[in-house]
Amino acid sequence: MSTIAATVPRGRTRRRVRVDGWRWAGRIFLVFMLLYTALPMIWMLITSIKSGFAAMQFPPQWWPEEPTLASYQKLLDPQNSVGQDFLRFFWNSLFVSTVTTILSVIVAVPAAYAFSRFRFPGRNFLFFAVLLRNMFPAVIFLVPLFILMRAIGLVNTHGSLILTYLTFGLPLAIWLLKGFYDNIPVQLEQAARIDGATRFQAFILIVMPLSTPGIIATAIYSFIGAWNEYIYAYTFLSKNEQLTLPVGIQRFFSENTTDFPGLMAASFMMSVPVVVLFLVLQRYFVRALTEGAVKH
Amino acid sequence: MAHVVLKDLVKTYGGFKAVNDVSLTVNDGEFVALVGPSGCGKTTTLNLIAGLIPITSGDIFIGDRVVNDLDPKDRDIAMVFQNYALYPQKSVYMNLAFPLQMRKLPRDEIDKKVREAAKVLDMTQLLERKPRELSGGQQQRVALGRALVRDPAVFLMDEPLSNLDAKLRVQMRSEIKRFHQDLKATIVYVTHDQLEAVTMADRMAVMNGGFLQQYDSPAQVFAHPANMFVASFVGSPAMSLIPLEASTANGGTVLTSAEGWSLPLSQLNARKVLGATTRKIVLGARHSTIKLHKSAAPGAIPAKAYTVEPTGDVTFVQAFLSGAIVNISVVPNIAVTPDEHIWLEFDQERIHLFDGETEMALHAD
Repeated sequence: MSTIAATVPRGRTRRRVRVDGWRWAGRIFLVFMLLYTALPMIWMLITSIKSGFAAMQFPPQWWPEEPTLASYQKLLDPQNSVGQDFLRFFWNSLFVSTVTTILSVIVAVPAAYAFSRFRFPGRNFLFFAVLLRNMFPAVIFLVPLFILMRAIGLVNTHGSLILTYLTFGLPLAIWLLKGFYDNIPVQLEQAARIDGATRFQAFILIVMPLSTPGIIATAIYSFIGAWNEYIYAYTFLSKNEQLTLPVGIQRFFSENTTDFPGLMAASFMMSVPVVVLFLVLQRYFVRALTEGAVKH
Repeated sequence: MAHVVLKDLVKTYGGFKAVNDVSLTVNDGEFVALVGPSGCGKTTTLNLIAGLIPITSGDIFIGDRVVNDLDPKDRDIAMVFQNYALYPQKSVYMNLAFPLQMRKLPRDEIDKKVREAAKVLDMTQLLERKPRELSGGQQQRVALGRALVRDPAVFLMDEPLSNLDAKLRVQMRSEIKRFHQDLKATIVYVTHDQLEAVTMADRMAVMNGGFLQQYDSPAQVFAHPANMFVASFVGSPAMSLIPLEASTANGGTVLTSAEGWSLPLSQLNARKVLGATTRKIVLGARHSTIKLHKSAAPGAIPAKAYTVEPTGDVTFVQAFLSGAIVNISVVPNIAVTPDEHIWLEFDQERIHLFDGETEMALHAD
């Protein structure tokens, strides 16, 4: 009797301690991950409002003694040569990313719909062929694509980048969107077609609005992919006036000095469009990635 | 409203024949149920009529037009789907208005028709809601409203009640029947539930394996099933089908069981057996036509009760006879216990005889 009474509560206590231990391990892990991702961002922001001298000091100034927005003013000033370059790079990046995104959606939407709805010869083969590209790191295609671009005269044009980004972004976009269309009951289109819509009208009026979250997620993926891409932009473009931001920002490194506050301010502004996109569209984004996880 | 004619309709998927030479006529204003187990081709047939899938061969007439190659939108049909297929992003009002908008009706006329339909279906107060805010029965009603709002030549319904709970299903069943009577609508109604077909339809087309098995009024199908499949599919509990062997004894015909007992046939039934291609005969009897005796009676066959299911007004008894399950219904005051010895008497005038090889009903001609 007494042994049973003694062991039961002890076992219970031990179990509770173990659960708490795991929970704390999880919390510590999350805090660590948060610091890991947030600290560089915070340091970037702090450095961007330092003077060039303060940025190089050791031990570092944890908070700048004389915070200044000089780097931002310089970058956004169209009169200044640094500002002219930065704004041009920014515009180039925006142009390339936006066109990539628009084309990607224009191609991916009908392609994904076709993969989802139609049974045609070679459907499976094509679908896996589309995914095949994702099995290889992008760098492998660098030299062949450069030779190809040179052959068709696209080197030093934004077109070369847009084409390349489409090649790399479309498979995932199509794959993501197909999952979306798979989840929209085919009866909705059938109902629309019986109600007097053509197949195309049924797609535009009924299916498209329902797949907006998927389209938005696809668009964000393409945009961020194109916005951050470095190695192809670095290889295909050499003329200063065509560089995109990731490549252009390199100009802050030079042989003798590196303008760290300027570099950090530029990096920060480069992250702004992506962050804004995420904040505005995150609700769709999360829905898109979890869509189909549970039956509604 | 219009009539619908299917002529030698065939639909194949690869080598698989989903719909096999189906021919039937749905008269103007008639309610026809396509009924059969899942995979029998009934939904495929409906989709062929709707034009949602292309036909392999044969002809479909709606009214006097051949619609084989017409788009669904040009066939002047309306359809109610099993999952209702309401447009989730549109309000009830816009759901009802959609078919009219697609036909480019003026706005005020659309408004008038939508409100009229809403009034008929008693959902005026729901017009601004989204489909997900409605109960299953209300969604069903909206789907029905969207079909009737534009006064089509034919209504196609694909298991419209199967997503509802049992009580609502019975209620909507009578509403749809009423709707048919009021509108004199031509309706083709697909269901796997033979009870729905029997209770609602003017005529029912029983399908199995892509073939049309029988096409007749529910009463006729019930009273004279064309083959063993129809006999076992229509009616609940199912008709009992007992495999026996025909032989001649003392100048008359008897059906003998492997269990040793035999059943002498009446003259009419003996003539039916003459038309069989084999000596293997299947005896069919509905539960209400078998008389249960608690003690040996002349002409009654001994059996053993297996399960007893009281339902209130009647008690269903299951017994094994010649390797087949036999359903018998008795009035509740006859108490039967499982494993009790019982005696079954078949009514010669109400039994069905089937050819054991072809499974077709035998007739005396």
